[in-house]
Amino acid sequence: MEYKIVGHNILRVDGLAKVTGKATYPEDLYMEGMLYGKTLRSIKTHAYITVDTKEAEKIDGVIKIFTHKDIPHNYYGVLFKDHEVFCSKKVRRIGDPIAFVVAITEKIAEKAIKAITVEYDEIESVFDPVDAMKEDAPLIHDRSNILYHYKLRRGNIEEAFQQCSVIVENQYKTSMVDHAFLQPEAGLAYMEGDTVVVCAATQYPHFDQLEISEALNIPQEKVKIINPAVGGAFGGREDITLQIHLALATWVIGKPVKTVYSREESFVAHSKRHPMIMNYKTGADANGKLLAMEANIIGDTGAYASWAINIMRKAGVHATGPYEIPNVKVDSYAVYTNNPFAGAMRGFGAAQVPIAHEQQMDMLAEKLKIDPITFRLNNCFKLGSTTATGQVLEESVPLIQCIEAVRHKLNSKANDTEGV
Amino acid sequence: MKKRGIGIGSTFYGTGYGNGFPDVSKAIVELSQEGEIVLYVGATEVGQGAKTILTQMAAEVLGVSVEDITLVCEDTSITPDAGTAAASRQTYNTGNAIKRACENLRDEMIKIAVKQLGLNSSIGVKVENKKVYLNIFPDKKVSFKEIANLQGEETLKTEGIFTAQTTKMDEETGQGAPYWPYTFSVYGVEVEVDTETGLVEITKAVCAQDVGKAINPKLIEGQIDGGFAMGLGYAIFEDLGLHNGEIKHNRFTNYLIPTALDVPDLDKIIIEAPETTAPYGAKGIGEPVMIAVAPAILNAIYNAVGVRITEIPITPERLLKAIKDNGKNKLEEGKI
Repeated sequence: MEYKIVGHNILRVDGLAKVTGKATYPEDLYMEGMLYGKTLRSIKTHAYITVDTKEAEKIDGVIKIFTHKDIPHNYYGVLFKDHEVFCSKKVRRIGDPIAFVVAITEKIAEKAIKAITVEYDEIESVFDPVDAMKEDAPLIHDRSNILYHYKLRRGNIEEAFQQCSVIVENQYKTSMVDHAFLQPEAGLAYMEGDTVVVCAATQYPHFDQLEISEALNIPQEKVKIINPAVGGAFGGREDITLQIHLALATWVIGKPVKTVYSREESFVAHSKRHPMIMNYKTGADANGKLLAMEANIIGDTGAYASWAINIMRKAGVHATGPYEIPNVKVDSYAVYTNNPFAGAMRGFGAAQVPIAHEQQMDMLAEKLKIDPITFRLNNCFKLGSTTATGQVLEESVPLIQCIEAVRHKLNSKANDTEGV
Repeated sequence: MKKRGIGIGSTFYGTGYGNGFPDVSKAIVELSQEGEIVLYVGATEVGQGAKTILTQMAAEVLGVSVEDITLVCEDTSITPDAGTAAASRQTYNTGNAIKRACENLRDEMIKIAVKQLGLNSSIGVKVENKKVYLNIFPDKKVSFKEIANLQGEETLKTEGIFTAQTTKMDEETGQGAPYWPYTFSVYGVEVEVDTETGLVEITKAVCAQDVGKAINPKLIEGQIDGGFAMGLGYAIFEDLGLHNGEIKHNRFTNYLIPTALDVPDLDKIIIEAPETTAPYGAKGIGEPVMIAVAPAILNAIYNAVGVRITEIPITPERLLKAIKDNGKNKLEEGKI
C-alpha cells in the first residue's frame, strides 16, 4: 500500500539543530548561581569502607558533602534494587559512588574529593564468573552469586544427538565492551517551587522520575525530568548514574547543581555489555537437517544485576539462532563478580549468542560438505515455524528473502573480485 | 600475505521487554487552540530517529505534513509514559500508541465536522490538509482551526495506549511466547586478512535487513551504518583492557572504536514483510542492525585463512597466534 508520508525519506526533525550545533545537551545548560558536584568513587574492587569527610568539609567553598547518611532510601536499580546511591558499608567494584561533593566551583569540588579519606578494609575479590559460581566463592551481595538460571527444554537432546551424523562442540567467549556514546554523562538540577527538576540525558525519563522519588522519599509529582538532546545511549543510559546525586543535592541545598563527567569517569559510571562464556554442542543428520542443540551460557554481570536476568533470558531464547531445531536444551546463568557492572547494550544478550551459533552452523556445513548458505536455507525459520520456546511464527518472517539477497550480492561480488 | 574470504551471519531478534512483562506505551495528541497538532509522548530521541518516524506516522493518520506537527518528548510533567527507548520497541510499541491516539483525534474531529456541517453520517468524510471535508462535495468543509475554535478553552485531546502481547515462559521448560515480533537480519562480508600483521580489513559488506515496513528508508540505512560499525568494533577492535576488575582502556586513545575509514561502503538491502500488529507494518530495527556483523566477520576470517576464532575481539595477536598454531598442527598432521 502506498502512503503519503510513511515510507518516504523525510528529513530528521531534530537534524538541523544537531548539525548546526544548536541542539542543547545537558552539558550546555547553565544557571545563575549554580554549584558544582563531583563524585568520589571506589578505587578497590571489594572492601569494607570507613569514610571521613571532616577535613574536606572545612575547605572554603565547599557547600556540602553527601554520603549514605544523607539519602532517605539508599538504593536503586532497574530490576533488583541492589545498587546503593552511596556505598554504606562496602564497595563491590572500582567506581562505586561513595560521596558527592557540592562546591561553588568545580576546582574546589575536586580539591575536596582529594581531602576525603576512605579506609579500605579489603576482602577477597572474584573476577572469573566460573569461579564466582563455586560454593566457596566470596559473596558479592548477601545472597548467592548466581542470581538467575534460565532453562529451555524442548524434545530429547540425548536421543537426538545419537541420531546425528555430524556434531560440533565448542566453547566461545565474548568480551566486556562499552557503549562508547559520544556525550559523557552531564546534568543540571534545580528547584521549581517545591518540585525538583533534573535535566539529564536518559533513555527512560519516567523511570528516572520514579527512582529519584523513591530514593528521596518524595512524591513522584515533586520530581520532573527534562531530557535534553541525547548524545547516544545504546543501553548505557538505562541505569541511573548522576540523576539521584543531583536531585538530592538540589533538594537539600535549594540551589542549582551541575555535574559533568569526564570520559574516564563515564567509563566507570555506566554499565557494560555482559561478557559470556558459551559452550555449544550442535548436531545435524546426514541430509543436513539440524536435530539437536545444547548450550550452557554464563554471563558475567559484574557487581550489580542491572538487566542481567532479562539479558541472560534473551540470550537463552535466542541461543538457537533463527533455525528450526526440534531438540534443544539451554541453561543460561547470570553471575555476580567484582568486575564493572554489566547491563543493557544494543543487542541485549542476542548480540553474544550469534558469535557461537553462526560459527557452529558453518562448521556443521563444512562437515556435511554443504555450502553454508544452503545449510541455512535448509534449516531457517519460515512462515509457520515454531521456535525452541514453542512460539509459532505466524507472519513477517522474510528470513529466506534476506539470505537469498545476501547470497546473490555476495556471489556477484566474489566474482567481481576474481576478475580483478 | 593478504588473503580474502567471505562469510555470513544470520540472526533474529525479539522486540520488547518480553516474557509477559507489561510493555505499555502511551501517547496524547492535541488539537491546539491555533489548530496545530501537538503530540505528547515520553519516548526518548536517542539519535535513532524516534521523533521523526513517530511524527511521520501521526502525519499519515491526520493527513497533514510533518511540519504541521510538534512532538514533545522531553518533559515528564507534560508527557505520558511511553516506556524505555530500548529493546528496539519504540517504533512498534509507541508507534502503535501514537497511531491510535491520532486515529482517535481524527474520529473526534470527524464527529464534530459531521455535526457542524449538518451531515447525515461520517461516510465519505475525509481529513486532509488541515481540514475535514466531504469528498463528494469538498465545499462542505471545516478547518482544524475552526474545530479548535469550537472547543473554546478546553482543547481537543485524545489518548492512545498500546500493550504488547507476550507470555511468561514456563520456569522449568522455558516454553512460551516471550517476544513479539521478531526481526531478521542476514549480513555478509568479505574480509582481507594480512597473515603477517594479523590485521583484518572489511573489503565488502552486504546487509539484508528485515524491517516489516520501512517508515523512513534513509533512517534505516543510517541505523544499518551505525549498527555495522558497532558490530565491527565488537568483533575486532574494542577491548577495555579489563584486569582484576580495573578498566585500563578508559578513553578513546586506547579504547579503540572503528572510524569511517574502517567501514566499507555497505550494500544495504531493506526487506519489507509488513507485520499486521505493527503500525503500518513496521518492526523495530535498532538492535537487529548490530548483531549479525561480528559472526559474519568470524566466518569470513575462517574462509580466508582457515582458522576459527572462538573468542572476541579478534585482536591481531590472537589471530596471528591462531594462524601460527594452525600451521603447526597441519605440519604435524603432515598436511603441508
